[in-house]
Amino acid sequence: MANILKTSILSSLGDLNSSLEAIKKSQTGISTRAIRAIEGDVEMPYYTLAKSVEDTQEGIYPELKKVVAELLSGVSQEDKKQTIIIIGTSIIDWHVIDAIESSNYKYKRKVYASQKRSIDSYAKDLSDEFELNGFTLTINTACTSSVNAILEASNLIDAGIYKYGIVLGLEIYSQMMSSGFYAMQLLSQTTIKPFDIKRGGTILGEAVAGVLLGDDKSQWQIKGGSSNCNGVSITAVSRDGDEFVEMMHNALKTSKTSVEEITAIKAHATGTDSNDISEINAISKVFDKSVVFTALKPYVGHTVGACGALEIALFMACIDDGFLPKTLNHADPILKDYQPILENKECTHGTFMLNFFGFGGNNTSLILKKEFS
Amino acid sequence: MRLYVHAISSYRSDREILNIKKELKQKSKMDLRRKEEFIYAGLFGALRLQENCEIQRESELYLTSGFGNINILAKMNEYIVEKQEYIKLFDFINMLGNTTNFYVASELGIKGKSIFEISDNFMYFHTLISIYASILKNNNEVIIGAIDLASHNPEVMKRVGGVDESVNVVSSVMYQKVSFEAKNALCSLEFDSRFYTKSEIESLIENENREVIFSTRCDNKNNEYFETFASYVVNDMILKAKNCLYIECYENKYKILKITPL
Repeated sequence: MANILKTSILSSLGDLNSSLEAIKKSQTGISTRAIRAIEGDVEMPYYTLAKSVEDTQEGIYPELKKVVAELLSGVSQEDKKQTIIIIGTSIIDWHVIDAIESSNYKYKRKVYASQKRSIDSYAKDLSDEFELNGFTLTINTACTSSVNAILEASNLIDAGIYKYGIVLGLEIYSQMMSSGFYAMQLLSQTTIKPFDIKRGGTILGEAVAGVLLGDDKSQWQIKGGSSNCNGVSITAVSRDGDEFVEMMHNALKTSKTSVEEITAIKAHATGTDSNDISEINAISKVFDKSVVFTALKPYVGHTVGACGALEIALFMACIDDGFLPKTLNHADPILKDYQPILENKECTHGTFMLNFFGFGGNNTSLILKKEFS
Repeated sequence: MRLYVHAISSYRSDREILNIKKELKQKSKMDLRRKEEFIYAGLFGALRLQENCEIQRESELYLTSGFGNINILAKMNEYIVEKQEYIKLFDFINMLGNTTNFYVASELGIKGKSIFEISDNFMYFHTLISIYASILKNNNEVIIGAIDLASHNPEVMKRVGGVDESVNVVSSVMYQKVSFEAKNALCSLEFDSRFYTKSEIESLIENENREVIFSTRCDNKNNEYFETFASYVVNDMILKAKNCLYIECYENKYKILKITPL
């Protein structure tokens, strides 16, 4: 199985080191943004990148480039030719918007360009600029986009088709996406309270996160994972969480891991009514009361398509630093006897389940192992 | 790398005049309200495929598209930017790439992996390579859907596609069911991960006795444009029972796909 060789991120808490230091101090990256609603623009909590990035092609590309440059440092020119890029995101395709505005509104008309552009142009341009292999994909499966990108890249490496895979998770504030989440009544006006009976929704966040995969020696191994498309509706699974249960069992099976081997779970834990009830019910059906689990969204927000790469990178950084981060803002559990950890817990290695669930019935569970050193 | 095609379905708007929503109402039990054209197109192709084969619960679904749902983005952009309004709930849901996957998977009874993906170059090839690696890992059959829906204003698709302004934009929905199983297959698809140079391609063509078909981007004679052309050629060659060497090019790089009906 492919290994995770390196990570690089930019979150609302800063780069990887700054984010780690902030998590150790229980700091969050929360601020506010205006979100378009039926009643007008509403100022809502939002996890904005420490350094503002404009949601345009020109604003996004340099941030991706920095992350890729860091991931590729030390990779030889020859190996770069065997390196692919897969992006996981749910951001708006600004290339299409540009074409729409140029075509539909005379006052926004631009010169006709003879180059194909798409949401994958970021990956293509990065591949060209860093002289990589040329294989690029951009996956959009909502909140599971970048974790699914990791599984796809891992398959390609395991098949021996490519040597290295860069997976980028990308989510930058946009009026369209945030307005959509608001319309769905999924946003909290205060904080994200994972698995708490008083949870009031999620808070969106921005992130650019990268993971370098390969079969070089590494302490972090992807043992396996599973992804399915199973929901009772376009926005949710059943409240008893059986769809999540099936997916978690599949992940354990594909990674040849027993329930007892799982050291801890990184839950998806959006803080929304439907996700958290389904997820905690599912956890209780797969694991007994001794299960250790935590959530990262209260620190960095729900970064939708980027949350896979971002939360994996943050989780790994915490374990590398010797601890499992506590879950913030949790007081009263939804399910008695199933409470996330409320204090940082010493942990240097183990086998971990990282769960990500999204719109469209997309559910993904990844099993990571860090060797004892 | 080799994959075997076991079933197909095809639709091109320039070859078949259909009211897709009306067709769906007759064939599908799904509630079609609050959905829109791109989803209808995906569903229509999937139902046609289902008429030709059995689909397993654990099958994987890969939907690919040149640009995704352009028309819903145009609608959202008009709300937010031009009219300064808010986003309506179902427009938001319909805008998400994997929404079409959800409805297609539901219609086909698929509960396996479901991916919506776009590549800027060699999209169909990159999807085939991903599928090959996934089957190697999971050993499931895979449903590939390639969906391009012509934009209401054709200029949008031509601009973002970077193609000549004189081409005719076409809607296309092509599906294939693929696996590693050769028995009872309709066709084999052979491809590799490397890129070819122009001179290598010229040399290949010289020694090739199959029909050679170029993508729209390579061949200016082809006046109909949709980005998922490779997927159409696969289905067309199966229907015509003809061997073919399909060649796609981007920025002086080439890829080849050997299509062999069985």
